[in-house]
Amino acid sequence: MKRGKKVAKKPAAKKKAVKKVVKTKAKKTAKSSVKKPAVKRSASQAGANGVVNWNFKPLSHHLLGGFGGMGEGMSVQIAPDGRRILWLAHESAPKNFTAVDVSDPRKPKVVCQTALPHADVRSNSLETCGNIMAVAYQTKQKNMKPAGMELFDISKPENPKSIGFFDCSGEHSRGVHQLWFCDGEYVHMASSSPDFIPTHPQDDQFYRCIDVRNPSKPVEVGRWHMPGTKQGDNVPPPPRHPLDKGYRAHNCNVYPQRPDRCYLAYIDGGMHVLDISDKSNPKRISSWTNSPPYSGFMHTVVPLFDRGLMLVTDESTENNAKDWPKLVWILDARDETNLVPIATCPLPDHKAYASRGRFGAHNIHENVPLPTCWQNDQIVLGTFFNGGLRAYDISNPYRPEAVATFVPPPAPGAPTGTTQINDVFVDEREVVYCVDRHIGGLYCLEMDF
Amino acid sequence: MNDIVLNLFPSQSGTRFGRRQKRERANRLPVTIVTGFLGAGKTTLVSKFLQTPEGRGTALIVNEFGAVGIDDALLRSSSDEVTLLGNGCICCNTRSDLQLALRKLVADRDRGKIPHFSRVLIETSGLADISPILQTFSTDRALGGEFAIEVVLTLVDAVNGLRNLEKAPEARKQVILADRLAISKIDLADGATQKKLAAKLKALNPRAEIDMALDGNIDPRHLTESGQDATAARHSGFVAEASHSDGIASFVIREETPLEWPVFQRALDTLVSLRGPDLLRIKGLLNLKGSKGPVVFQAVQHLIHPPVELADWPDKDRSSRLVFITRGVTEQQVSALLDACKSLGFVTGD
Repeated sequence: MKRGKKVAKKPAAKKKAVKKVVKTKAKKTAKSSVKKPAVKRSASQAGANGVVNWNFKPLSHHLLGGFGGMGEGMSVQIAPDGRRILWLAHESAPKNFTAVDVSDPRKPKVVCQTALPHADVRSNSLETCGNIMAVAYQTKQKNMKPAGMELFDISKPENPKSIGFFDCSGEHSRGVHQLWFCDGEYVHMASSSPDFIPTHPQDDQFYRCIDVRNPSKPVEVGRWHMPGTKQGDNVPPPPRHPLDKGYRAHNCNVYPQRPDRCYLAYIDGGMHVLDISDKSNPKRISSWTNSPPYSGFMHTVVPLFDRGLMLVTDESTENNAKDWPKLVWILDARDETNLVPIATCPLPDHKAYASRGRFGAHNIHENVPLPTCWQNDQIVLGTFFNGGLRAYDISNPYRPEAVATFVPPPAPGAPTGTTQINDVFVDEREVVYCVDRHIGGLYCLEMDF
Repeated sequence: MNDIVLNLFPSQSGTRFGRRQKRERANRLPVTIVTGFLGAGKTTLVSKFLQTPEGRGTALIVNEFGAVGIDDALLRSSSDEVTLLGNGCICCNTRSDLQLALRKLVADRDRGKIPHFSRVLIETSGLADISPILQTFSTDRALGGEFAIEVVLTLVDAVNGLRNLEKAPEARKQVILADRLAISKIDLADGATQKKLAAKLKALNPRAEIDMALDGNIDPRHLTESGQDATAARHSGFVAEASHSDGIASFVIREETPLEWPVFQRALDTLVSLRGPDLLRIKGLLNLKGSKGPVVFQAVQHLIHPPVELADWPDKDRSSRLVFITRGVTEQQVSALLDACKSLGFVTGD
């Protein structure tokens, strides 16, 4: 009450809600490498390079010998000698894959980095299971080689040995874009095939299941494609989306909780739940798409079995957020035949990130069913290119809440002038690994939320 | 709400209070409040803090009573962001301004208009009553959903502190409600005066650690860590230790056996509904049946903050312990109420 009297003496006309807001420049502190913008901002691109470190503890950063343009394959192996090896796929040539000893995530050490045979092939995806690694090869043009999937013995991480190759090359094939390999027996992959003639050149990759129990002789056991995408189908081809990224398979996740299901993202064709109880004859259980009105490119489907939820991601593929919004969707999947979208993970402000490079959803942590992978159904960890790595609390799936963000400064020479965080993996120690798509290499972090 | 969500979408790692969290504030932005009577040296202390690594990335909100912008000018060079709330005390007419200022800071940050910051420091005016400020942060309806007070530090001037504490109820309340205390201008007061002041502070607030601040220098972590959990644990068996002026008392309630949440909730609802205005601050950890980690419980007057279950206990002590700062509500009354509710127990069903 006393304060009320004192305040009352002030002339009412002078009252203002916020008297003054003064903005000062960020301190130029050399040590604050993960906290301060590395590139000067202008008003028009405010925030585009905005460095954010909120609720992640950076442990280390490795540029991977100058070959830090990383893809979307990340897998942790415990080598026979006890070392913890993080295997990383590269976004594009010249490198094939890199192995990093992350036993001490504060001091990651590259133990192996291999090269691709030529510049027109990329190996953007890999998975490990025990001491075997599967690597996807996709060529720039059709009818090139190597287009397929290669298996390596990685029991000696410094010297991975090829032990099998599944050739997918052919007149209509670019090979394999993405694969899933967790049970040591089957590789589930988004692949072309020499005997698959698509109705549209963009629609060349579909779901294939490969038996690798004899790694030296991988054998296809089943496949599924979206009706209308193969010549000879008895339904018409699907309508093209404006950005036309193709009706083709992307992530094909299979989990031991439901070994009879494949959770298949199909880029412009939305996503599909497949019954693979008979691997030789996959059947579609249900589908869901957000496009139109959205702009396609569905990327990943991660079921959260206990919760009856499903996470579905888009991928942003256009620079300067021209395909905005690209989102992480949460679906009520209690009835797998009737998938209902209930929320999306909130994106940061469009203006802050829409300039320079891609901005929007891409990969998420997928609860890969391996002992070296963190299993969680309360947190979504996703990569958003120049929006960095973002964590969301989905304990209430109707209201996802941002809980952490990591946007490192762009590495020297970053072509877009921004970071482009591409993929994320969390090991069972809860160490977070994320990679940059262009040049920034590997970041090791701890969750602090 | 969470029980309903858990029923719809069950999770082995979910709790009735949502996700199990590594720390109490989870994703909320940490807030440090620096208060202290006029001339206590708050601006100097804040300036020093902003120059430390711990102070980096701090947005500053300065509440000036009276003349405009003196402290703002002193602080502008050392903080990423300075927002000045003018014309009056933050606790009364500018409380809504505080909400507006904080929301604007966060919105501007998210839009990339200002540099990223990861902490907010509020320097109150010397005359501020911090109770309403704490209240503002204690409910989702105001700022509690996005911001979490981590530390309330009260600075007391070694030269004038004793006199201010005798004469000004605002100064006493600032001390009583603090998580931490610091004595400033120690080079200007003799040892006996300092000792007398420290004893007075201890009597008013036995829970808070006391720093000695020479030229505004204290351990910067003391502006980011309350140290209250550890302090509460150390006061084992502490019962109505201090009886303050203005009818304010503080005490710790401890329970060695795990509590039933419905029982505790009903007891506190009763307490709040009957004596809400007299519950200046309640904070502590609960060991609840069915919960794996400790549950953080906080209330300010009639507002109870949504509880949070933590991933781990901070120490080996598994007892529930709550610090109460109340006006005219005794430890015996609270204990009796809790005991009565416990003895009744509860039954589920329609």
